Amino acid sequence: MHLPDTVTLLQAAISGLLIGGLFALAALGLSLVVGVVRIVNLMHGELVLLGAYAAWGLVQATGLNPLLLAPLAALAVALLGWPIERYVLQPVARHGEEAPLLTTFALSVIVQNLLVFALGADTRAMDSGPLARRLSLGSVSVPWVYLAGFAIALLVCLAVHWLIARSAFGRRIRAAAENPLDAAVVGVPVRRLYATTFMLAAGVAGLGGALLGMVFAFTPASGVEYLLTGFTVVVLGGLGSVIGTLVGGLALGLVESFAAAFLGDGYRLFAGLVAFLVFLALRPQGLFGRRT
Amino acid sequence: MPEPEALRVETLSRQFGGVAAIDAVDLAVRAGETLGIIGPNGAGKSTFINLISGALAPSRGRILLFGEDVTGLATEARTRRGIGRTHQIPRPFARMSVRENLLLAARHARAAHERRADREHCDAILTRTGLADVADWPAGRLPLLRRKRLELARALALRPRLLLLDEIGAGLVEAETRALIELIRSLRTEVGAIVLIEHVMDVITACCERTAVLSSGRLLTVGPTREVLADPEVAAVYLGTGEREPAPGAAPAPQGGRQSSVTPAPLLEVRGASVSYGGVRALRGVDLVVGEGEVVALLGANGAGKTTLARAISGAVPLAAGSIRFAGARIAGLAPELVTARGIGHCMEGRRIFASLSVEENLLVALPPEARARAAGRLEAVYAMFPALRDHRGKSGTAMSGGQQQMLAIGRALMPAPRLLILDEVSLGLAPIAVEQLYESLRRVRATGVAMLIVEQNIHRGLQLADRACVLAHGELRLAGRPQDIRASPELRALYVGEDAAATAPP
Amino acid sequence: MSGSGARPGQGGAARGALIALLAAVVLLALVPYLFGTYWQQLGFRALQLATLAIAWNLLAGYTGQVSLGTGAFVGLGAYAFALLGNHSAAPLPVLLLAGGAVPAVFAVLVSPGLFRLRGLYFTIGSLALAEALRILMVNLSVFGGASGIVLRAATPPFYALYWLALPVMVLALALVLVLLHSPVSLSLRAVRDDEDVARQMGVRSFRVKLGAFALTAFITGVAGALQSLKLGAIEPYGAFGMSWTIDTVAIVIIGGIATRGGPLLGTLLYVALGESLRGLPELHNAIAALVLLIVIRVAPQGLWGLLLRRPWRRATAAEASDA
Repeated sequence: MHLPDTVTLLQAAISGLLIGGLFALAALGLSLVVGVVRIVNLMHGELVLLGAYAAWGLVQATGLNPLLLAPLAALAVALLGWPIERYVLQPVARHGEEAPLLTTFALSVIVQNLLVFALGADTRAMDSGPLARRLSLGSVSVPWVYLAGFAIALLVCLAVHWLIARSAFGRRIRAAAENPLDAAVVGVPVRRLYATTFMLAAGVAGLGGALLGMVFAFTPASGVEYLLTGFTVVVLGGLGSVIGTLVGGLALGLVESFAAAFLGDGYRLFAGLVAFLVFLALRPQGLFGRRT
Repeated sequence: MPEPEALRVETLSRQFGGVAAIDAVDLAVRAGETLGIIGPNGAGKSTFINLISGALAPSRGRILLFGEDVTGLATEARTRRGIGRTHQIPRPFARMSVRENLLLAARHARAAHERRADREHCDAILTRTGLADVADWPAGRLPLLRRKRLELARALALRPRLLLLDEIGAGLVEAETRALIELIRSLRTEVGAIVLIEHVMDVITACCERTAVLSSGRLLTVGPTREVLADPEVAAVYLGTGEREPAPGAAPAPQGGRQSSVTPAPLLEVRGASVSYGGVRALRGVDLVVGEGEVVALLGANGAGKTTLARAISGAVPLAAGSIRFAGARIAGLAPELVTARGIGHCMEGRRIFASLSVEENLLVALPPEARARAAGRLEAVYAMFPALRDHRGKSGTAMSGGQQQMLAIGRALMPAPRLLILDEVSLGLAPIAVEQLYESLRRVRATGVAMLIVEQNIHRGLQLADRACVLAHGELRLAGRPQDIRASPELRALYVGEDAAATAPP
Repeated sequence: MSGSGARPGQGGAARGALIALLAAVVLLALVPYLFGTYWQQLGFRALQLATLAIAWNLLAGYTGQVSLGTGAFVGLGAYAFALLGNHSAAPLPVLLLAGGAVPAVFAVLVSPGLFRLRGLYFTIGSLALAEALRILMVNLSVFGGASGIVLRAATPPFYALYWLALPVMVLALALVLVLLHSPVSLSLRAVRDDEDVARQMGVRSFRVKLGAFALTAFITGVAGALQSLKLGAIEPYGAFGMSWTIDTVAIVIIGGIATRGGPLLGTLLYVALGESLRGLPELHNAIAALVLLIVIRVAPQGLWGLLLRRPWRRATAAEASDA
């Protein structure tokens, strides 16, 4: 462990925050699925990953900048999300708590292995082209792609927040999240809502993945990492709040960044996991307690 | 030397958020006695049992078991000190056999294990509780009635010094109730003391020397059972018939509904409705008709099946037999949101307001996506009906008083402009003033032509607005007719407070 | 057989099963005489997987704690074996025991924290723990970092490995079967079915969970030690990797969770599937996961449960499955 100087720390803080925005985006979908549809979605990481691969595939096909293609990639993953919830997850929901969990586990394995089978296990990354250049702010410099990614992430998070807080759809989501049975009696079409919410969650996750793919390299095995990132952000920021997810993401970004600065890059993920475990054990309500 | 006390609780309190579910209760159970605990819905009886058994920790107070302070002990430690309990909703170890359920309990009851003695002990209990023939079945396969027996058998296998029985008599027919009473009475010599929480008064009068009454978390009274059941204050808590007459000069309380001689066209027709939970019929062949614009009161003691019927109508609970037609079309088997779309509004028991939504959002969420255009108009209509809601429109749905929340619940059910409004126990937990205001609003609702099915435990309130009334008991329809006829019926008290007590109570 | 699990008329069936089991063990012991190194290697893998499955079934199927952290115990066992082997002259059995003991101690240490998490939180927590451990090992150079450790001792021939894996599996099976037929089985299953009510019946649920967790860790660790021995060199990605969890979960659920025969049947099917898709390991995993999906939906009690189909076992899916 070595003590870095102020400039490095500042650098770490800024990059950490910017990347944290991407983490928040990548975790938002999980927050929605766990909080509203009430499924511990172990394939969330793969949804993020599919966003990265979709963007990568589109880049290979069109040669356009990944930033432009990210929304398309998100759409692709969103379209995948609807049938998964409607035809694979909903039917097992009545088999108890663990059936959906193990089903999503199985799905994550399938996706991961199909990716290896079809595209190979090589590490991929997306070249953000001109955006890879760095912007200098005094002694600190940040790649443009971090800023662009952060901006998009922030915008999307705020848009989802607005959607949930203000729209009729958001009202129904909040009611169903609080108590699905009461919501049904009141007239909310809960099952249809679940499928739509999952689709939204998948789309957001895919977008997050597409953006992350421009910053970090990825392999078919990266799903676990994205999954745990997602859970860490949700635990840190609190379930059920988009702003909370944003804050959690920024916090995680900082934790990982500082860990890399103090302990070396290898400890980046480790620090995040420790933060996750500590928070999980400390929060008496665990993951699901939003209101006491 | 004073007789040892099996259980003593001192200033026992338990808060949930700001609400005291149990409030400074002082109570003692003598060694060798069977103490009954009664009280209306929401009185805190289950919370009380959970506090004694260790499933809940108290906010304040002490619990002494045979003189020993067990307040700080964890659940399993209290069991090892001699507390055995049943659960109101049976919780068997579903994938273990019936016998294994008992063996597990027996194992932890004594310090030194003697496996053979355990097995004999358990087999004896199985025979006694009538479970010997299903000893090898997986417990999850038992019908509800037998699961309740298993609860008792399992608690007995613990060789408890203090036995806590939580509503073990619910849903039984006469013969079963008699058998249960026999069983409980036979336990006197084996168990140090028994605490019996019940709604079925026959069991209370037959088994308990003394009875305590809980109401809103407080101990109302405790004393010899006959006296307690005959006490008019106790009757008032259950029946609501002890309420003060309106002050002189105030408008007299309206008697019932319209005295029209024209029978309205039937809107809701329930024929032979039966609902089963496990093997128990919570509703047995109930008929009910509500006409257009009519107000029908659905009355009955706790556990009579009123809420079950309401939930069956709105689709939250499936019918085992019978039919439900609304505006001529079959609605039994439809999902709740579809029943709502057909024009039935259900104001649920306990209000069920969404705390994470504001008052206005709670109202708006009840509108189906297709009705977006009508939203503003419907909102205005509801605000006109309940002005207090407009004042609080931006606040969280649960930030208002109980009475206002109830109005919100009613307003929410009215948003899709239903033709029939089901009101389930709307006066629960509200002060008399608030209830009066509420029923004023319901008068306004009735004036708009909406048919209403008012479910009430409290007879007086239930009959205030009603054109007709029905009384349920044990899942069956026992009385039906005009409000004045119901009120005058001699059977009424018996249906609520139990045949024995009604017969021996002072007139 | 006495004990809580015995039912009248079952004595004969149990004796029959025991005899069949013994016969199977004898036959399995003969494999290296009858078949060549390829089958010995395959047999080793199958025995190893079966061992893991038996242990996981005890924890998830009978105690109700669904852990996704199998990799943590395998890795710890593998590393303990390698390090002790490289730095001491301890004989093989001691090394194997150490391979089991280290993860068991680890399990005991993390239990107070980990068991604060109930149900699904425990599952996620176990996953995070395994990953954290893996990353830690990658970074700690004292344990060889990303390149891992090479064992000094020579790798034994395949038949020797096989003849080590067989008694390990048999002992694990025996241990678990004895446990399941003892009164402890009642406490385990009570905790699984309803922990709160179990405590209400006097069960010290924390101790019960701890015991099962430690035993599972021990057995899994020994299997990990075998892996170390077989490879002659270990590194974090393989030792602590997710594939251990994936294999184990798929085997147990497909075979039949919370059944005695499920882990064994599941292993057979899994390995058979792998053989039919030889050379296409990703497809094997994907198809196994697909089967897992279908089983959860259609036959939650697993294939062993389907095969047995005792008359009163026509339980609902919710009752029969662990899910």
